[in-house]
Amino acid sequence: MSPAPDPERVVPLAEIELAVQEAEVPVVVAPRDAGHWAPNVTRLTVDADRAAVGFNVAGKRVTGPQQGFGRLWQRTYTTQLGSVVGPQRLISEWKAHFGEFWTKGNRFHGLLITPGEVAPIAVNTGAGLKLSTGVLVLYADDESFTFMTPEGHMFAGWITFSAFADAAGTAARIQVLIRPNDPIFELGWPVMKRMEDRFWMATLRNVAAHFGVLDAAVEERTVLVDKHRIWHNARNVWHNAGIRSVLHLLTAPVRAVRRRRLG
Amino acid sequence: MMASNCEASVSQVRGLAVVALSGEVDGSAATVLGSAYDAAVRDEPTAVLLDFAAVDYINSTGIALIVSVLAKARSEGRRVVASGLSEHYRRIFDITRLSDFIQLYADVESAANGVIEGASA
Repeated sequence: MSPAPDPERVVPLAEIELAVQEAEVPVVVAPRDAGHWAPNVTRLTVDADRAAVGFNVAGKRVTGPQQGFGRLWQRTYTTQLGSVVGPQRLISEWKAHFGEFWTKGNRFHGLLITPGEVAPIAVNTGAGLKLSTGVLVLYADDESFTFMTPEGHMFAGWITFSAFADAAGTAARIQVLIRPNDPIFELGWPVMKRMEDRFWMATLRNVAAHFGVLDAAVEERTVLVDKHRIWHNARNVWHNAGIRSVLHLLTAPVRAVRRRRLG
Repeated sequence: MMASNCEASVSQVRGLAVVALSGEVDGSAATVLGSAYDAAVRDEPTAVLLDFAAVDYINSTGIALIVSVLAKARSEGRRVVASGLSEHYRRIFDITRLSDFIQLYADVESAANGVIEGASA
């Protein structure tokens, strides 16, 4: 039988550390990437200030590449900025001025590029119609950030913006992994593909110009990852942001009258 | 080319090809993951299991790589399942909606049991 412990004894630190080690208490350490991911959400919410521009986002679920309908594409746009900026500062500036790098007529209504942020966007379709949809900031760290699209967006998938060092200095990259979300958007893919090219190439050139690199060359690479369509996702057309944007526009007078009546 | 901190080993467990990943699954893991998948399907297994038990980092480009593998498997008519995900990575699979179309198991043994039961059902 061991002697009863002396309550007056001052226990040395080494003895305490040994006791803790022997107790084998499991220590749960959060993975390094834990703070970079968005919290899990079932349905997206848009704050009251941006509700008017987020009508096609609020209440929607996010869609990964396997929730879309059309063929799965990986498209990569890369530009070189040389030694004018390092990857971390490039991403920091890109996050801070994200919407400013978009081309005229397109609006990004995000406040901060932080994990979990929901940003409504308005895309100029070129046919006199603004397509309203949005993105969720799925992931963000010092050298990259990724958006995930909601139901109704033209594409189901992810868009990753990153910067990295290579032999030529610092490169900025946009990589999308997407399926057209429904049969209508799949039919429009040949046109949308060209619009995507123009949009993201111009964005990268604007990012480069921000750092004083003018007329930067942008390299584009397209890989067809899966040529099969996912037919059971054809019903995604119900959420089609193009159709809903048109309906929203047509019903604007009704909403105006209702608002006036409510005072 | 970026150096990869991801490693992969391929083995067989009762007809299941197991790709055991370790380290960091990020953009630099493309070659490792692609080669491991190609080695895993060489003997026409019942299914391919991606085991994440020894993975301690996944970023969004890593998740995109996993989707590329799944899409490739799907186009080849192969089933892919996953095991060994910590609570954190299960949550990531939920957020990204990967868990909607990939069966998750606690470990390699339960995955092998699950795939065999599924095949015989």
